Amino acid sequence: MITIRRSQERGHADHGWLNTYHTFSFASYYDPAHMGFRSLRVLNDDRVAAGRGFGAHAHRDMEILTYVLDGSLVHKDSMGEKRTFGANTVQAMSAGTGVVHSEFNASETDPVRFLQIWIEPSVEETEPSYQQIPFDPAEKSGRLRLLAAPKEGVNGVPAAVIHQDAFVYAAVLGAGETLQRNLAPGRHAWVQVARGNLTVNGHTLAEGDGAAVSAESELSFSGAGPDGSEFLLFDLA
Amino acid sequence: MQDINVLVVFCSRTEPLALAAALGCVQAKANIRLRWLREAAGGETMENRRHMEQEYIAPRAVDAEWAHAILIGVHGEPPEIKEYLDSLNALRSEGKLAAKTETVFLAVPDAQAGSQSESQSWPPATLESARLQGRQVAEAARAMKATHHSSTAV
Repeated sequence: MITIRRSQERGHADHGWLNTYHTFSFASYYDPAHMGFRSLRVLNDDRVAAGRGFGAHAHRDMEILTYVLDGSLVHKDSMGEKRTFGANTVQAMSAGTGVVHSEFNASETDPVRFLQIWIEPSVEETEPSYQQIPFDPAEKSGRLRLLAAPKEGVNGVPAAVIHQDAFVYAAVLGAGETLQRNLAPGRHAWVQVARGNLTVNGHTLAEGDGAAVSAESELSFSGAGPDGSEFLLFDLA
Repeated sequence: MQDINVLVVFCSRTEPLALAAALGCVQAKANIRLRWLREAAGGETMENRRHMEQEYIAPRAVDAEWAHAILIGVHGEPPEIKEYLDSLNALRSEGKLAAKTETVFLAVPDAQAGSQSESQSWPPATLESARLQGRQVAEAARAMKATHHSSTAV
């Protein structure tokens, strides 16, 4: 069963410096019918103006992934990390017992666009941690590139380790390019189109669309439209 | 567990202490808001001033009304702190602060007085004390809120 979450149905807030779309309830957007999917709790598509960002704020007991699509971010936190990162990098912060952090657009001239993802951990009160893993864009071209997993180095691929039975992948498919993926029995998936157009098991998805997948054994992806697609796949318990 | 909100108000020089205290609050499962009490004469670098202006907003009445505890960390006695405390008193007299809202001053060691060095220069032991104080304030606020609830429920 595949349930589509259309881009235009998402929560939306435009604060001037921040233009954000919420796939699930977040901040002032609340819809009890869209509180998350399995352990995936937040999926925000954020565009932050040049030189602007989120001042110091706190998190607890959440696995927070950030995936930059355009531009770059500066991150600072109470663990002493101060890092800058851009596209083709997964940033993961396990908030655990508590983290205070800030994140700003690293550029004074260009906007930054990124997906921010919150996954509920299976265990609470863990030691906070920060991971930042860059990769070659060729690794997501025509195939699924693992971004995060509950264990280190699945199939030798460096990925962020998170405290949840969830595997997060990124892929880029050109127009007409296809990709197959099995979904193990009892597993669920969320597909989020970051850019372009995609078909999933015959369903057409546009940029910003998402799809909840349950009771399916195989996923067939195909890049659609003139430019294909970049998308994230969440394989969830 | 009682949901607790802690407002942390600080000046430029004490930002690291405020962040450490805020971390302690979060570790005690409190919600936090960090607000910068902008000094007219901060004696700081332009770069740091810009950083503060970019990252923080000033404390607002709604922040105090939201808080179960207000933790104030300032260096010395800047004139802005008197003005801010007066604003809190005005809110309190108008009945806009929760009955149990406590205002607590973060311990800022005298040894740092007069220092204009970079904010990151606070010794680790001082930052750890700030974290612990933040934690204690949040836990005390939670206990007070629970006591208040149980007494009003009788």
